[in-house]
Amino acid sequence: MNSARHFIRLLALLAIAAAAFFKARSMVVPADFGKLGHFRASAITDAAAREPRHLGSVTCAECHSEISDPWSKGKHSVPQCENCHGPGMLHVKVVSEDSVDAYPDPIKQNKNALRPTTGIRECEWCHLKTFERPSTLKSIKSVGEHITATGGTFTPASKCTDCHNPHTTAVK
Amino acid sequence: MTTLWNKPEISRREFFEKCAEAGAKTFVFGGLVVTTANLLLAQDPEDVRARAEGAVESRLHDTGLGDVRARAEGAPKEAAKGPIYGFVVDTMKCIGCGSCVRACRDENNVPDGFCRTWVEQYTFFPNGEVIVNSPSGGADGFGEDLPSRNMPEELGQLPVRGFFVPKLCNHCINTPCIQVCPVGASYVTREGVVLIDQERCIGCGYCVQACPFGSRYINPQTNTADKCTWCYHRITKGMVPACVQACPAKARIFGSVSDPNSEISQILANNRVQVLKSYLGTNPRTRYIGLDSEVM
Ligand code: SF4
Ligand code: SF4
Repeated sequence: MNSARHFIRLLALLAIAAAAFFKARSMVVPADFGKLGHFRASAITDAAAREPRHLGSVTCAECHSEISDPWSKGKHSVPQCENCHGPGMLHVKVVSEDSVDAYPDPIKQNKNALRPTTGIRECEWCHLKTFERPSTLKSIKSVGEHITATGGTFTPASKCTDCHNPHTTAVK
Repeated sequence: MTTLWNKPEISRREFFEKCAEAGAKTFVFGGLVVTTANLLLAQDPEDVRARAEGAVESRLHDTGLGDVRARAEGAPKEAAKGPIYGFVVDTMKCIGCGSCVRACRDENNVPDGFCRTWVEQYTFFPNGEVIVNSPSGGADGFGEDLPSRNMPEELGQLPVRGFFVPKLCNHCINTPCIQVCPVGASYVTREGVVLIDQERCIGCGYCVQACPFGSRYINPQTNTADKCTWCYHRITKGMVPACVQACPAKARIFGSVSDPNSEISQILANNRVQVLKSYLGTNPRTRYIGLDSEVM
């Protein structure tokens, strides 16, 4: 029976290795891994937890009805407020908590925590004439050409919003 | 009888030799058994037929026709388990404004130079030349470096045809991206949304290479893989993805394909839809209306 000790030694080594492996595995692999598939089950709740930043024009209307009422009746009622003004979540927080100092510099500089509008770039996103745009969409070749063609005087400082109300498209 | 076990004395060398011999014999014999079993199974006609039927079944569901069939049977079984989501891009309606790309950036903190969704501009010239353009993914709009403005002088021709194609992760049913992940950080939820576990991802980039649609990138801020999530943090709160809300042309439609009365189910039932690179068999859940054969 002398050779039995070879087996015993080998088995003992294997047992230690297996124990070490399972211990290491339990430390590296999260407890809920594999519960719903080959992934960490709580990753789903993590992914769902993040805070939405775009609130939709319905939320904007709660405070800004003087703008959103004509907007909703005008020709521009499909683009959302946040398309031009940027996401509103931070704006709502900053305005309601009055705590703009807690936010990073670019937001502090723009006190209302919305994206500053230029009154020309936002319009060009949709209304510059390109061959690929549907012809049914009102579009202009350039702001200069449009102003000249409509009898105005173009200067480098000219904006679309000089003549148009951006919320309704109506000419002022 | 003298066996390895009760042999009076045996050297360590002899012991390991015997062990290796036994191991090799087991390996060869086991291999023979498995191969024979496989051969026998593969030749079983019942089994082959069952497998073929299974394939037909899963195709029905994968193309969304399963939803239609469930409706015909009057029992939308999937609806009981909760929604299965789908996305439709109507390229005929897209005006190339880039609102979707900007909304996605702001919503999901997408770093500069990367896109979770982007818009491609296709311009066709009479000599057969096709120019595909997507400056900053379309985030700054189209116009400045527009082919239809700059190219005619070079080509001496005006474009004959053109359109915009918005793109995003297709949330494929047969995802190459999940298959290659070595740590189980890429996964699909019960609703059919393909997601990345930012805690587990080791940033190896295998999935970025595996995705045939270029939907993934390594986020330089987190050093993990990132991509469109169909705004999972919004849809689980009953909102639509940021790009869908932003699109002024209603070119993007999101909703539950397991609910036969949802807007997207109606659109899928009444339109001819296509998917990108159907020949790859990844079976995208993002479907397209008006997809041109030139679109890659
Ligand atoms: S489009 Fe790419 S990243 Fe999205 S599910 Fe398909 S393979 Fe994966
Ligand atoms: S927001 Fe809509 S219309 Fe504008 S580029 Fe995106 S898909 Fe096209």
